[in-house]
Amino acid sequence: MAASRFDELIHAPTRLSIVALLGASDWAEFRYVRASLGLSDSALSKQLTILDEAGYIEIRKAFVGKRPRTWARLSRAGRTAFEGHVNKLREIVTASGLAFGEAPEVEQRTESKPEPERSGVPRSALGT
Amino acid sequence: MTNVIEPDEAGKALTEISRRQGQVIDAASVPSWYWWIVAAASVALGLVVDGRDPVAIGVVAVIYAIGVAVLTVWVIVGGVRHVKVNERMLGPEGTGLIIGFVGLVVVGTIAIAFALRSAGVAQAGTLSTLVCGVALVIGGPALMSRLRIVMQRHRAEAR
Repeated sequence: MAASRFDELIHAPTRLSIVALLGASDWAEFRYVRASLGLSDSALSKQLTILDEAGYIEIRKAFVGKRPRTWARLSRAGRTAFEGHVNKLREIVTASGLAFGEAPEVEQRTESKPEPERSGVPRSALGT
Repeated sequence: MTNVIEPDEAGKALTEISRRQGQVIDAASVPSWYWWIVAAASVALGLVVDGRDPVAIGVVAVIYAIGVAVLTVWVIVGGVRHVKVNERMLGPEGTGLIIGFVGLVVVGTIAIAFALRSAGVAQAGTLSTLVCGVALVIGGPALMSRLRIVMQRHRAEAR
């Protein structure tokens, strides 16, 4: 089990959602993350760049047929940091006597189903 | 760096994490049309087997094996998948459920076919693959529901 440690970089709302998605997966495609979180290409690219520069994710690009695809996954450091962050959150909740699930629902972001693939994926901000 | 947040904020964060992990679990389910296609292909194979034409049986069996293998790989890790659920979420129990279901369907279909043939039933291949098809169409989605429960439990245990 990872040591409990609050991670401010992960805790930012959008990055928390991204890391939570990646934490439950071995890898996720850029457009899946984008559609799941209802983010624009540029907003997701920006957050992925921050996580990538921190060494928390790995980004892989390849062509599937003629289409460029981008996948992201948590690095070992990222998974350790995420697990430590979750442990810290649990500690805070437990110490307060608040049972998990009592907290009010987080603000719902606009959800959308995966969209048809666009002509390309943003490369400018991914930095790999 | 601020290392202290309020408990309700921590609770909200944990709720958000749980919701996003649930999204991945839902996305990992095999679509129901997959089971219908494999079931239909199995019945077609049974029909050909009952035709007793060795060449036709050989050709269709090879097409069936390759077709089902390619479709399975494509569905699980390929074209329609945009995310791969973490293997730790599935765990040994989930893996065992998948292997057990596939084994039960395959062994059950073969056993029924031999039993019917021994009883002198002419359409043993067709009937046994019909049973196989029904098992896939009903059992496949049921397996997916069960796997979803297993993954949700593993997710909860990991929290």
